[in-house]
Amino acid sequence: MIRLLGVELHQLVRSRRTWVTILLIDLLPTIVAVLLKLTDIGPRPGTGPAFLSAVLTDGTLFPLAAMAIVLPLFLPIAVAIQAGDAIAGEAEQGTLRYLLVRPVGRTRLLVAKLVSVIAFVLLTLAVVAVTAYVVGVLLLGTQRVAGATTTVSGTPLTQGELVTRTFLALAYALLCMLGVAAIALFLSTVVDTPLAAAMGTMAVLVGSTLLLTLDAADSIAAFLPTRYWLAFVDLFRDPILWRDVVRGTLLQGAYVLVFLGAGWANFATKDITR
Amino acid sequence: MTATIIGTQGLTKRFGAITAVDGIDLDVREGDVYGFLGANGSGKTTTVRMLLGLVLATSGTAEVLGRPMPRDGRHVLPQIGALVESPAAYPRLSGRANLRVHDALAHGRRATRKGRVDQVLEQVGLAGVDERPVAAYSLGMRQRLGLAHALLGEPRVLVLDEPTNGLDPQGIREVRDLLLQLHRGGTTIFLSSHLLAEVEQIATRVGVLDRGRLVVQERLDVLKRPTGRTYVRTPDVAQARALLDGQVESYDERSLLVRVDDVAALNALLVRGGVRVSGLAPERHTLEDVVLEAAGASSDRFES
Amino acid sequence: MRPAHRWTAVAVGTALLVGIPLAVRARPAEDSGISAVDLLAKVEAGADHPYSGYVESLGTLQLPTADRFTDVGQLFGERTRMRVWWRSADAWRVDKLLTTGEQDLVHNAQGTTRWRYEQHDATLSRDPSIRLPRTADLVPPAVAKLLLDDVDASEVRRLPARRVAGVDAPGLRLQPAAPQSSIDHVDVWADPRSGVALRVEVVAKGATRPAFTTAFRQFDARTPPPSRTEFEPPAGAEYRFDDVLDIADAANQYAPILPPDVVAGLAESPQADGAVGVYGSGVTRLLAVPMRGREAGPLREQLLRTLGVRTVDSGTLVTLGPLGVLLTGTEGEGGWLIAGTVTPDTLTRAADDLFANTVYVSTR
Repeated sequence: MIRLLGVELHQLVRSRRTWVTILLIDLLPTIVAVLLKLTDIGPRPGTGPAFLSAVLTDGTLFPLAAMAIVLPLFLPIAVAIQAGDAIAGEAEQGTLRYLLVRPVGRTRLLVAKLVSVIAFVLLTLAVVAVTAYVVGVLLLGTQRVAGATTTVSGTPLTQGELVTRTFLALAYALLCMLGVAAIALFLSTVVDTPLAAAMGTMAVLVGSTLLLTLDAADSIAAFLPTRYWLAFVDLFRDPILWRDVVRGTLLQGAYVLVFLGAGWANFATKDITR
Repeated sequence: MTATIIGTQGLTKRFGAITAVDGIDLDVREGDVYGFLGANGSGKTTTVRMLLGLVLATSGTAEVLGRPMPRDGRHVLPQIGALVESPAAYPRLSGRANLRVHDALAHGRRATRKGRVDQVLEQVGLAGVDERPVAAYSLGMRQRLGLAHALLGEPRVLVLDEPTNGLDPQGIREVRDLLLQLHRGGTTIFLSSHLLAEVEQIATRVGVLDRGRLVVQERLDVLKRPTGRTYVRTPDVAQARALLDGQVESYDERSLLVRVDDVAALNALLVRGGVRVSGLAPERHTLEDVVLEAAGASSDRFES
Repeated sequence: MRPAHRWTAVAVGTALLVGIPLAVRARPAEDSGISAVDLLAKVEAGADHPYSGYVESLGTLQLPTADRFTDVGQLFGERTRMRVWWRSADAWRVDKLLTTGEQDLVHNAQGTTRWRYEQHDATLSRDPSIRLPRTADLVPPAVAKLLLDDVDASEVRRLPARRVAGVDAPGLRLQPAAPQSSIDHVDVWADPRSGVALRVEVVAKGATRPAFTTAFRQFDARTPPPSRTEFEPPAGAEYRFDDVLDIADAANQYAPILPPDVVAGLAESPQADGAVGVYGSGVTRLLAVPMRGREAGPLREQLLRTLGVRTVDSGTLVTLGPLGVLLTGTEGEGGWLIAGTVTPDTLTRAADDLFANTVYVSTR
């Protein structure tokens, strides 16, 4: 298992696609930071990603704003592509059959692919957070005189609390992406091409986002995968509003369990005919 | 009797309404070069995939190296080298890097990895290959790399599906020599092919698959047994016919086909009779005859 | 394990994951069997009971969005998520939660402070008796207090209990007797121990679904700590004092008029002390705000664009569920903005009464 993980992670960090994807994801918040710096125009209240209005005066919040920028669309697309490629990509290349006769256990392969996707998300979040912090501090500066960052509720936040809560938010984002990865991984064991798996996952996410805007879908809203994605903002209220974060965690956990289970049930006895 | 390496009982695979493999009983013995013959679409690849646990049988059982497949795949597969249908590799990595990946997965020790990778590259004639990615390989190079994959880890059994695909005559010769060399070293080889000549040249046992059924399974030398007729080459055809009255089955201007049990006695008779004999050869069954007789019409013909 | 077994395991797991929360939610609530009158008394007695929690309100009224009324339109036309800490009527805090930040109202001895995260500003104001609705008015106890005010025992009956924020809450239905009312009924579910209203639904005449719903999703009847109702403006934030809270407050303070004591048969409320008239009680309420031409103009334009708008003799009339809005006068003129939970007929009668009986004073 460790060797398999080693091989998977080695492939991940060696792949040019990994870094190009991360770079593209990283580019968007950086562009936003530059535009904010040049124009000094924040989003109108109630619009735009969370924390973006606050970064004009406090650059240290930019990692959070960057996360709010990439989390709704860019990151899930990248995860859907990455995880959708996991099994279907190997099958399409023909390398899947050679992995399986090496032999690599099917369940192990599935788990290794999931770990590889987790590593990809971690890597992306780390790169985005670090770049955003550097860009935020350099471009947007720490103009807030007293130095203390405030919570969304207007109370002061110490550096320690800010760092802790930022890491909590990153962990939460990671979990949300894990839910996406589980769906994509399942589809990747079902369909023949990585593109179909990625598109299928995106269809689920877009459908979920759309249903959330309908009052008629209220009764199923709590079960939709994107329902609690932006709940990480609640970590920056005072006191922290755990309600949605906890629900989001349980929901994503359920998605991971169900779809990994379905992926396992399907893949473990699937005929590999390609 | 030598040990059975691959044995199946009533192995069957249905894809929906189509029966791809229909109750075959394979029997591959230790030390065999087993030629698994069949037209395209006859179920060869599906059978190979079932033996390797890639496709699950609808019914029937398969044992490889004495253990049930696919249940004991973890123990069986490390002793098998396989080339399934066509070679495949990560296109962005070099051939060497691809082999390193597989070596790492096959529990090879890191310290000796380079030696093992170099050895199999040498065996398949890719020793001098540069670090170009596999995407830039020719078809023949990919085939050689696929063979190298299969050879990694010094397997007891080689399961090769169309191993000479895409190779030039020189390459085919090299692969044949390599397989014979491995065979001499004690490796059992299961060679699936649609090329009669390829199988005829190196196989010791032959199985013929026709539309999912195993129609022939026999030692090659048994299949190619004498027909009981002998070719006689002679300029004196008329004289010979007179001498061998009743035994000649056919003739032309330079030769005759004679039904005879004792070739030496035939030769003595001809010489005594003053017939000049320029050649004398017992006729044998050819593999082609056997296959055609057993398999009937080509499977890609559709007649009303 | 055979494929069928694997799939069965996955299906059972999924069913449990989905089913357990649904089953827990569907568990029937226990009813204490309290009578309607007793429950009403309990809720009225619990009006000042402290509490804290998380509230979601959902309004379906598509109010016109003229700039000075935008916030009101959002309150009654959208989903509002709030956190509330209520120590007493003199010390409370209501946070309106947004995905992009927060807008908080903190009320204490200093007055009411509004904190807006995105604008990074805080505004302190006094708490006028006449003002437009705000988030703090949407929490169930505040809504219940407003609507159950002055209710006759004959107007209420019991509803079966339902589970609200984990509490088995007995229900109460109020069916107003006043003919002027546009409200068919108001349903209230309350905490049986503290009497705090936990869920309120308002259903308009002729409607089946509530026009407005507000409910606790998390509820705690303990007194929140004093620190929750304190507010220190953060360093660097803009901090100012506002003399006038909103347009209703401004009109009430500065318009040189006095409205009549009774309109459309509804008596003026004792809290009305200026130019703005507040009439009726309980669920039948009406507000009359005098507006100048430049304020009435944009509002009239918005009203004219609202679905179902009617032009009547006295002005422009819109009904949105239980809420009726009438702006008197025509283009370019000022006029009375008359709004309330009353029938259109009551609105026009009120307009007539306002025209006939308003007293103009020289100075205020």
